[in-house]
Amino acid sequence: MLRREQSDLLTQTGPGTPGGRLFRSYWLPALLAEELADNECPPVRVKLLSERLIAFRDTLGRYGLIDEFCAHRGVSLWFARNEECGLRCPYHGWKYDYTGQCIDVPSEPEESGFCRKIKLKAYPLIERGGVLWTYMGPAERRPPLPEWEFAMVPREHSFTSKRLQECNWLQAMEGGIDSSHVSFLHRGELSSDPLFKGAKGNAYNLGDLKPVFEVAESPGGLNVAARRRADGGRYYWRITQWVMPSFTMIPPRGDHPVHGHFWIPIDDEQCWTWSFDYHPLRPLTPDEVKAMRDGWGVHVRYVPGTFRPLANKDNDYLIDRAAQKANRSYSGVAGIAMQDASLQESMGPIVDRSKENLVSTDNGIIMARHRLLRAIKNLTDKDVTPPGVDTAHQRVRSASVVLDAEQSFIDGAAEALAVREGVAHSSV
Amino acid sequence: MSSESARASSAAEARFRIDDANSIQRTVKVVALDAPSEAVVARLAAAEWGGAGFLTAAVFAAAPGGDMAVARIGERGDRSGQTNPLTAGDGADLVALVATAGEEIAAACVVGEACRVVGATTIAFVLTGPSTAHAALSRTLARLRPWTLMLTIAEDEDCIADVLRALRA
Repeated sequence: MLRREQSDLLTQTGPGTPGGRLFRSYWLPALLAEELADNECPPVRVKLLSERLIAFRDTLGRYGLIDEFCAHRGVSLWFARNEECGLRCPYHGWKYDYTGQCIDVPSEPEESGFCRKIKLKAYPLIERGGVLWTYMGPAERRPPLPEWEFAMVPREHSFTSKRLQECNWLQAMEGGIDSSHVSFLHRGELSSDPLFKGAKGNAYNLGDLKPVFEVAESPGGLNVAARRRADGGRYYWRITQWVMPSFTMIPPRGDHPVHGHFWIPIDDEQCWTWSFDYHPLRPLTPDEVKAMRDGWGVHVRYVPGTFRPLANKDNDYLIDRAAQKANRSYSGVAGIAMQDASLQESMGPIVDRSKENLVSTDNGIIMARHRLLRAIKNLTDKDVTPPGVDTAHQRVRSASVVLDAEQSFIDGAAEALAVREGVAHSSV
Repeated sequence: MSSESARASSAAEARFRIDDANSIQRTVKVVALDAPSEAVVARLAAAEWGGAGFLTAAVFAAAPGGDMAVARIGERGDRSGQTNPLTAGDGADLVALVATAGEEIAAACVVGEACRVVGATTIAFVLTGPSTAHAALSRTLARLRPWTLMLTIAEDEDCIADVLRALRA
């Protein structure tokens, strides 16, 4: 249960809101690099944190992310011509460079210098790991570039996708730190999904439906550990990473690539769910990449030409009641990603948390809210930089390990939870 | 035409959600297991709560018959609660144990057994400090693990109040 005013603090991320200020402390994934594949390619509309923006790649390959609307009469620059190092509005020819600076107003004498007085709001946009990242906070607080491991490995070691999720970011993210649903909602996929099946840990997952949880604060967020019975009196631990504000990394299975998410608010009723897979030691195989492109694992198939999932609320997520009845699928919705999203979207655009009845296994969710609220308060009242901005907080890994009964995951998996160059994930 | 799911999950439809209470008050007992935790629990107890009671481990030791009496409840199958502080008042749906990493928590097994006997869900908070050694933390966790469904390890005692409120204490 969360009071309405607390929920508002966490779910509202527009300009001027405390939650929006928190998100504006970080480098956030804004676009896939492939969306701006070439110099002078068509500009792309971007809405982030309730701000309408336009992204483009200029003649010299520089990325720009600027206010979507021309300062003259409010035309969308999605219609602009991307030419000669700038976006030119097709209405009256006003032109802007990648910093948002107006560089040409054809109707005014050049010597008047009028265009120098016109500048659109702009944010930096940089490429790292196939993702274009932006920082939407004050320039003087701009943090170092992100160092998430999936974005730092060679490109052929990773695959990243994004999908539209039609609900507030928080209820989507809370699904990512709720390990206890896996044994129910996704149980069929543990043995059928090509990016999950075959791991020894899956049997432990399915063999013990009452995991015991331990949640520990980490410098950047939380480690959420689920403990299940393994063989010989030992325990199978799955340790999820949550780093503020909205990064999660799911514990790996066998030698499969490890995956995780970012949930980035588009506005208060929609978010981008970013999904990545990577292997620290080897390139992804063609079969793995094909499976990801085909919507297996944490990825989805799209409505062609969009980032909207093919199974979406407008087609009832293509729910297959016969498959559900026959236990071929626990929920009847195909694919892990849409099994999650369908339920999270069904809560409504922003779930009413005053009605919820949380239980002890929801402690990861409760602690994440606690840390987010504390960070918002510290940022608002004392100007304290929130956890997760420091790149050291980003160099973390999830892990799955088998430990002796008396061993704590904090001790037994300490090394496994940090990025180690040239060492594989700890996985079962 | 939009689908049933699209219509049902809209903001407009949210106003038709039933607004009646969907749960009744839970009873939560919060138990301090060591001396530093007693101060934490005393601070918690000073706040306003719907259904929370606050105890120290000493209460268990002081129950009629002492520690062993509590431990024997299960053996006798006697759930009358005569000797179990957790059954006082409205009983306990949830018991939250509070411990400090590295402190002696000999009472953990007595309190844990008392929780088991009454069938209460048991969770625990282990408070750490900047200088807490891993080994000390591990010892504390090992003492609590047999009895708890959820362990939370945190530096900040404020999280206990937030968790209890989230659980409708």
